[in-house]
Amino acid sequence: MDFLNQISLLLKKDLLLELRRRESLLLMFFFGTLLLFVFHFSFDLVPERVAEMAPGLLWLAFLFTGTLGLAQLFEGERGNHCLDALLLSPMDRGALFLAKTGFNFILMVLVEIVVIPLFWILFNLSSWDVVPYLFVITLLGTIGFCVLGTLLSAVTLKARARELLLPLVLFPLMIPVILATIRCMEAILRAGELGDAVPWLRLLVGFDVIFLTTGVLIFDRVIEG
Amino acid sequence: MHLTVRHLAKAYGLLWALKDVSLDLPPGEVVALLGPNGAGKTTLLKLLAGMISPTGGEILLDGSNLSQSPNERRSAIGFLAPGEHLYENLTARENLTFFASLYKKRRSPGQVDAVLDEVGLQQRSKEYAAALSNGMKCRLSIAKWKLLEPELLLLDEPYGVLDGSGVDLLESFLKDRGTQGSVTIMASHHVARVLSLCTRAVILHQGKLTFDEARQQPWDSFTRAYGEFLPHGESWTS
Repeated sequence: MDFLNQISLLLKKDLLLELRRRESLLLMFFFGTLLLFVFHFSFDLVPERVAEMAPGLLWLAFLFTGTLGLAQLFEGERGNHCLDALLLSPMDRGALFLAKTGFNFILMVLVEIVVIPLFWILFNLSSWDVVPYLFVITLLGTIGFCVLGTLLSAVTLKARARELLLPLVLFPLMIPVILATIRCMEAILRAGELGDAVPWLRLLVGFDVIFLTTGVLIFDRVIEG
Repeated sequence: MHLTVRHLAKAYGLLWALKDVSLDLPPGEVVALLGPNGAGKTTLLKLLAGMISPTGGEILLDGSNLSQSPNERRSAIGFLAPGEHLYENLTARENLTFFASLYKKRRSPGQVDAVLDEVGLQQRSKEYAAALSNGMKCRLSIAKWKLLEPELLLLDEPYGVLDGSGVDLLESFLKDRGTQGSVTIMASHHVARVLSLCTRAVILHQGKLTFDEARQQPWDSFTRAYGEFLPHGESWTS
């Protein structure tokens, strides 16, 4: 219970700071929609090629947008040595990891709520009935992205040019999540169901669970390192 | 709180910032931690706060090893770095409330008000920390640790940019702590000021403990030990 209280306290603080600064979310919204327009003018997405191209394009937008959010993830703590203040406190480091992951997840979901329908509108796609299923798969992929991203964001916290270093480290490690999510979305867009993409879904859930658990267990060493 | 430090050492790469430092501080001790720049004062404070891990030796809080203690033990330790460790986009009151919750201290709004009033920030309690002057941020830092009441308080250059009344405020806070049985260690270059408050003085030089004595009057041994770090012909009392 105490652990949950700590997560809630840290998460509320981050949301309040974001509400006041409005830096990450606005930047992510703007960049996400900008990418969609770039895709819109670059690709002619005919209905026959939707299943093939839409998942990749959407995830490209989420990856770039999410990386912007990750780069800002510990900004609130960097000023005034607030991260030291948190680490000095009796707070469980795992709670800090989950709060930061949760905060990043909330930002990304808010962006996805706008980006996915906008993608459908921009490309004039008719298959709206699959959007909820795509959204569920996207959420699972987003959890994987946020979990690994938060962990690596903490790893690169003290690095020089961390904004450049973070995607270089993150993207290769994200390959299982990206592949699994894209395959699952592709299956849904082709057949309206997961079908033979079920093993990819298992991989996605497995990745989320493994890295979430690992993150909680090792975050104290990562953040203090 | 009884603080014991045994053979503490810290190396950054090949550079030893602290070597074989041992201290035994019973409850109520107010320690002046002195020494020239680069002596290892801040490193010692960070080790005691648990912010960094020692390369060797151990820190015992009431007999239990700090590095093996659960996170909860950290609530007994405070680190006052004036104006730092505050969220710029939270108000003065929100900062205090947030840290009180983080330290699992139940503090009523009335208690928060009272502390803000004591440090002269009641009128500005709804302003963001970013909007406060540096001196006021120092006061807010003092308010934070007044509210959290740690058993071991570590202060790094606590006088910061405090004005006269701010200095009085800090010193009365530290005197109160001494009478409450808490341990206070303050690193500062305001030698005369910290010596007027302390019950013990410790001098570090090149990472080694070169002086550790309870306060005396007169204190010739301290004058000799600290004299070498002062500009030629100057006394620490001046």
